[in-house]
Amino acid sequence: MPTITIDPITRIEGHSKVTIQLDENGDVQGARFHVTQVRGFEKLCEGRPFTEMPALMARICGICPTSHLLASSKACDDIMAVRIPETAEMLRRIMNLAQITQSHALSFFYLSAPDFLLGMDADPEERNIMGVVRKFPQMARDGIKLRQFGQRVLEMLGGKRVHPGWIVPGGVSHPLQAEQRDAILAEIPEAIRITRSALQWFKGQIESFRAEVRSFANFPSMFLAMANDTNEFSAYNGWLRFIDANLNIVADHITGTDYQNYIGESCNDDSYLKSTYFKPLGLTDGIYRVGPLARLNMCQSAGTVQADEELAEFRELERHSVLSSFYYHYARLIEILFSIERMQTLLNDPEILGKNVRAHASPNKFEGVGILEAPRGTLIHHYKIDQNGLIESANMVIATGHNNLAINHGVLQVARQFVKGKKLEQGMLNRVEAVVRAFDPCLSCSTHAAGEMALDIQLISADGEMVDRMRR
Amino acid sequence: MPRTLLIGYGNTLRGDDALGPLAIERLRTLLPEAEFVSCHQLGPELAGQMAAFDVVLFIDARSEGEPGTVRVERLSRDAGHVASLTHHVHPAALLELTETLYGHAPGAMLVTGVGTSFELREGSSAEGLSEAASLALEEICRIVPELVKSYPALG
Repeated sequence: MPTITIDPITRIEGHSKVTIQLDENGDVQGARFHVTQVRGFEKLCEGRPFTEMPALMARICGICPTSHLLASSKACDDIMAVRIPETAEMLRRIMNLAQITQSHALSFFYLSAPDFLLGMDADPEERNIMGVVRKFPQMARDGIKLRQFGQRVLEMLGGKRVHPGWIVPGGVSHPLQAEQRDAILAEIPEAIRITRSALQWFKGQIESFRAEVRSFANFPSMFLAMANDTNEFSAYNGWLRFIDANLNIVADHITGTDYQNYIGESCNDDSYLKSTYFKPLGLTDGIYRVGPLARLNMCQSAGTVQADEELAEFRELERHSVLSSFYYHYARLIEILFSIERMQTLLNDPEILGKNVRAHASPNKFEGVGILEAPRGTLIHHYKIDQNGLIESANMVIATGHNNLAINHGVLQVARQFVKGKKLEQGMLNRVEAVVRAFDPCLSCSTHAAGEMALDIQLISADGEMVDRMRR
Repeated sequence: MPRTLLIGYGNTLRGDDALGPLAIERLRTLLPEAEFVSCHQLGPELAGQMAAFDVVLFIDARSEGEPGTVRVERLSRDAGHVASLTHHVHPAALLELTETLYGHAPGAMLVTGVGTSFELREGSSAEGLSEAASLALEEICRIVPELVKSYPALG
């Protein structure tokens, strides 16, 4: 295998690099996805009071602050050994569902819609959000409105749409007001209409993306997501479960106390993004996927009427689990529908206006773990504190890390399908971007600069020479 | 008075970058008929809101220029600024988006004040601004009501 020189961290706001290795015959032998930035949050929080962690951790990312806020607060709840009030849990669930809605809307309408609407082979000058705005204005208006809905819920509850507060160890800082509830409920019918309309449209397009369905990280793998007794979709409470490609349970009832027996983290020489793997099978065979595809494969029902209808149709795609990562997009839309319906149910429950929303306690344990289903997949925050309540160590397992092995596998699959000879073609470049984007990776926002994802693809010959390169 | 929207944006934890949001706080009382948005950064979601107004004033901090000075620019639509629309969106791109999607872009001006310190700091009150940014804040609060009242002459 030729040696490839990596040039890291020159652009920390998220640059990724793909290298493709060719054999003597010019056929693709290997491909790698590299993330060239480091954030260091696990280290910089050491010595801080554990109560500061939710606000501090929320700063990891401008797209997913709510997810970190929630996972961090759950870890702090665990340290205090408190059970938060029922109303507080319902309100936190609404925050999580609003976060899933706005993040998935961003991924589908802003980042990926140009690929679907304008075509994978379209000129990148046109294949961007402005191309969508000009050619498909109604779709663009819908996307903006749906994301705005999710953000308005976050803003109404958390005070602001980027880096909201309100979620605190022990619950939430103040109760929901009736006017806020009514304002959110009033927007729900339109949000559902937009989501259903996008679902109908997307389902009608799948046939024209057969090549992408076949080659976009389409392989048998395990899946990891939260599970519960009802086997309904779970994004806030439950334990972790691994299933295989035939939907058999591989490991179950994994909690914060034993996740490290099942989830291993491996550092890579050529990327700052760790790869996580299913420990009992080791790094080579322990590949699994998380996120919308994993969650829909995992649950038996969504638990809401319209999302269940869509889920039944989704399941007809394949006999067992749905394996093509192209269907992450489809799964995302179903999850938006579920999230809006579930928000409606929670908001219509009289308990939602309850005034008891916070439990108070001092630390009762030296260790705490918070687990949550973030938009991109399972998110774990794990803290250890000293006797003064100061953080001794923190470990965060992020959704994109869980998917790292699968993303690499997907890049190789796409390269094998579309790279021919020693010359890189635009359509190939687009598809490499698109397979990465299907996972909606969040390298602390970095690849979220997509539409114009900072991408560097190098084609390396068998003797190690760079024979072609394309950059954006 | 024209239907007026004032959008102040910036990171309230980064020193003088809080100028936009702080100006909005003060202008609320000076322009009771206007509507206000205070945000960390501009996003495409603002386009839908902007379409309902005659004039939009963007208020932001700037690091280049004579400290304490304020600059007012008329803005026009510019599709060239529309790249990803996910992280940083230029006001001109928002105007382009508003016109293309909603068929009406308001008259728009960008009001910027030059600060000198953009380091991380606690709190987000006007007392924490540098001397230059404090001067710019005073000037912005003086001229923005005049700009709004003189619209459309200046728009």
